[in-house]
Amino acid sequence: MQETDQTDHLDASRATTAELNGDPEEATQVEPVAPEPAPSGSPMIIFEAVSKVYDPNVVALRDTSFVIDKGEFVFLVGPSGSGKSTIMRLLLRELDPTGGRIIVGGRELARLRRSKVPMLRRNIGCVFQDFKLLTDRTAYDNVAYALKVQGQSKDLIRAKVPEILALVGLGSKMNSFPHELSGGEQQRVSVARAFVNHPPLLICDEPTGNLDPDTSVGIMQLLYRINRTGTTVLMATHDREMVDKMQRRVIALEEGVVVRDERRGGYG
Amino acid sequence: MRTKIFFSEALRSIGANISTTAAAVMTVLIGMFLLGLFIALGSWVISWTNHVKKDLVVNVYFCTDLTCEKEALPKEINAVSAELDQNPMVKSYRFVSKEDAWEEMQERFPELTAETVRNPLPASYEVIPVNADQVQAIAASLQEPTPPGVETVKYGEKKAERVLQVATIIGAIFLVGSIILLVASTILIANTIRLSIFSRRREIEVMKLVGASNWFVRAPFMLEGLLCGLAGSILAVILLLLAKEFALPGIMGRIESPDDIQAWSFPIVALILVAMSLLVGAAGSGITLRRFLRI
Repeated sequence: MQETDQTDHLDASRATTAELNGDPEEATQVEPVAPEPAPSGSPMIIFEAVSKVYDPNVVALRDTSFVIDKGEFVFLVGPSGSGKSTIMRLLLRELDPTGGRIIVGGRELARLRRSKVPMLRRNIGCVFQDFKLLTDRTAYDNVAYALKVQGQSKDLIRAKVPEILALVGLGSKMNSFPHELSGGEQQRVSVARAFVNHPPLLICDEPTGNLDPDTSVGIMQLLYRINRTGTTVLMATHDREMVDKMQRRVIALEEGVVVRDERRGGYG
Repeated sequence: MRTKIFFSEALRSIGANISTTAAAVMTVLIGMFLLGLFIALGSWVISWTNHVKKDLVVNVYFCTDLTCEKEALPKEINAVSAELDQNPMVKSYRFVSKEDAWEEMQERFPELTAETVRNPLPASYEVIPVNADQVQAIAASLQEPTPPGVETVKYGEKKAERVLQVATIIGAIFLVGSIILLVASTILIANTIRLSIFSRRREIEVMKLVGASNWFVRAPFMLEGLLCGLAGSILAVILLLLAKEFALPGIMGRIESPDDIQAWSFPIVALILVAMSLLVGAAGSGITLRRFLRI
């Protein structure tokens, strides 16, 4: 029952993505019975009674527990200050939790040595509301930067960057600087940068927060397609309409507590 | 491959923050120029004090019929000579006969000696110590009791003390001044790197997010500090070279300076400055990176 529902939904979105860039490879991928590498059952992210208290006594997360499986697409919703961004930052190990355990891709973050943190981050793509592009570099260089930083070879960079930029629909604007691009295009660059390594996990902090509804749809389709390649996507958002439309798993936070976790929910 | 990226990143940053970089280079330039002057002047003064110290001798004056009742006997002179031979602090000594002393006197003060009818000067031993500091000890060994035939033993107490004192003070000023300048340069480079880090916060944030290793983030800043230091020191060396070529002859022309007084040679000073500035650049950026770039 649920399965068919899913496929219908997928096919609908498939059409739009094929439209988006006319990738023939993707068209062939429509064929399989279960095209979505659906939640495989093995967890990507485990939050186990995680709490985070900022100095002096601001509680951002309180005994938060949830499990996100590999291949899932999960919305994280809740009012400002409910702890969404804290979860993002904990996942990137920009912060350490005050209590509890966080396991990402089978590794407990607290046990990760400091020198291994860059390795963790290479396996997590990030997309932000404010894009976080380098303003003095072109779209191409912004994406190439992510690869350069990881010590990838020039040949690989030259091959991969145009490919991923074409995939997000910016094949013709590779040499534009961020200020020459629209908000939606800038966000596409940042998605391209986040996904150029094909990380197993993509986290997005209000990626459509600065974009108009139509542009947002384009970005969401992009994220959706990325999810279908098997990448787990965790997206914090305020976009009620989008969440309702997508009908994906929703984890709702309020004052640092998970108040709702629905397999196929709306914004609530 | 990697170093190429680091260099291009560092140069990009220098270009983007040209004013802060220029400020840092200027500071290093001034610091290193002064340090260079300090080294040159300091080494010259030390060489000068060594020269003066060489002049420190113990004079053993023998009796004349004017000062004591009778002239010192050759036997008595030989006895002193034997004593000097045994003294380990004595490097060498020279016998100055009455006639030698008189000739020297005539040479130095011709109008004074012109009307003098007879030679009033005593014969003497000029004793050169192994170490300038030992003049006092050598003199003491020839006093209380003064050997027979010896009228008096002099070693220019005042002069010796002054020379040693001045040398010590100059050395101390030299050291303290250099340390202050080095610390100032280090702090200023640190500050420049901090500004550079601040103006590149965004870039660093992105670097971290895309998983740059800690060294990848740090290296361009380290390199930037090193390049600032290097540029400053090279400019300082050029300035010093100009000063040496054009200003120094004018000054040195007025100062009587024997050949054995020499400042350290220029290449050595230049090398020291460059090495120091690299050290200062590395230390300056290192300090800031530690404090402001916790990754």
